[in-house]
Amino acid sequence: MKQQGKVVVEETPVVIDVGDGAAIPKASDKGLVSAWRISFAGALAVLAYLLIFQPDPYLRIFKFVPDGILITFQVTVCSIALALVIGLVTGLGRISRNKHINLIASTYVEIVRGVPLLVQLFYIYYALGRIVQVPDLLAAIFSMGFCYGAYMGEVFRAGIASIPVGQTEAARSLGFNRAQTMYHVILPQAWRTILPPVGNEFIALLKDTSLVSILGVADLLRRGREFASESFQYFETFTMVAVLYLIITLILSKLVSIMEDRLSHHVKR
Amino acid sequence: MSNDNAPIIRIADVSKFYDQVIALAHVDLDVAQGEKVVIIGPSGSGKSTLLRAINRLEDISAGKIVVDGFDLDDPTVDINKVRMEVGMVFQSFNLFPHKTVLQNVTLAPVKLKGMPRDEADAMARRLLDKVGILDKADVYPAKLSGGQQQRVAIARALAMSPKIMLFDEPTSALDPEMIGEVLDVMVKLAREGMTMVCVTHEMGFAREVADRIVFMDGGQILEVATPAEFYTAPRHPRTRKFLEQIL
Repeated sequence: MKQQGKVVVEETPVVIDVGDGAAIPKASDKGLVSAWRISFAGALAVLAYLLIFQPDPYLRIFKFVPDGILITFQVTVCSIALALVIGLVTGLGRISRNKHINLIASTYVEIVRGVPLLVQLFYIYYALGRIVQVPDLLAAIFSMGFCYGAYMGEVFRAGIASIPVGQTEAARSLGFNRAQTMYHVILPQAWRTILPPVGNEFIALLKDTSLVSILGVADLLRRGREFASESFQYFETFTMVAVLYLIITLILSKLVSIMEDRLSHHVKR
Repeated sequence: MSNDNAPIIRIADVSKFYDQVIALAHVDLDVAQGEKVVIIGPSGSGKSTLLRAINRLEDISAGKIVVDGFDLDDPTVDINKVRMEVGMVFQSFNLFPHKTVLQNVTLAPVKLKGMPRDEADAMARRLLDKVGILDKADVYPAKLSGGQQQRVAIARALAMSPKIMLFDEPTSALDPEMIGEVLDVMVKLAREGMTMVCVTHEMGFAREVADRIVFMDGGQILEVATPAEFYTAPRHPRTRKFLEQIL
């Protein structure tokens, strides 16, 4: 194969920027990498120091909150799964040619984006409570999923829009209808663009799950508050809670950056 | 559906407007079964628009297009069924980058015709052999040269066993040394009796393969002639001017 004649099909790297996650370290960005290292090493050092040299109360707190971490992850994973489903439907709705579907999807996004998450949580929680009696955990997941579904919808819309129109034309000219084209040709390509921002949203959502503690869900923050209200050691407790959140999000953001690297490598193939 | 005398493509009084711009103005063209028609003309002449109207990648504003007996404007006609009979090759190849060469070829017959996987693979390998690229069956399109990609695109279109093949400037995005390999495949296809409508700037190909050459400008067909007439005695002054510029 002659190298000079190699045609590089345009693969413009599209970056969907949804800027409320932790800063994701990139290999090319040396400063951020070291910032990540400093934060991570620092957080671990602080944790180790507190646990070893001041086991009372830190070790007691550390033993008290893990149930909360589990709940935090439960809420995050379930909410993101729901948000992905809602997001796909919303994203497809936003690019739909059908005016009504398009309007419904766009209005949903507009409303969700315009109301603070905490207010939405309260609203959905109490609105749901008027109709059906659902466990707090479920109400929290539903609220978070409903809200993040709107953001996810934008991610899906942008990801789908990033695929060149020639792909659609090629598929349609073979006889695929619109839905088949989306399923077989567009979405399998779009996920590469979609996945990194989804990872980003996952981290953002994990942090936002701290809001559900207000609904009585025993997440990490809630467990911390429970401990503090009994021991009155507010400063110590929230130091521990903050360090734990930080360690979790730092690990996750590292994972997302590894995933991003793998994906971009895949494209270069 | 169609008898032997009826044209397989009938384009009757077709016009298309974008806002104020006229892309096609009262175009008439019939293409017979097995015929090879080459459409040439300056850029912006409406030749690609006309070609893309044949499988309704472009909607038309007025007129009628009948393909293999199916009126494209008839709401009861399933356009996807029509498109399965009309293969199309694009200037920019448009291979599916997430599929291997083989998968690019088998995707449509497997998903749309329910062809068994092994049967589709065998057919795809035959087609890839025919376009001379069987050894690349398992690589991804990004690894191929433009000429190779375009030959895969032709194989992909042929995989649906179309009755008609449309070529939209298939060599315009290629480096000069790759044009030959793609044209060779197209000539081979023409010899086998495929009905072909090609928009191209390749005059050698037009001369060798075309039954008729259609010259378009300003959204109109100005001249339809055999290659011999077209190149030696063009009637329309605009055609003469165009030929002077490119030859």
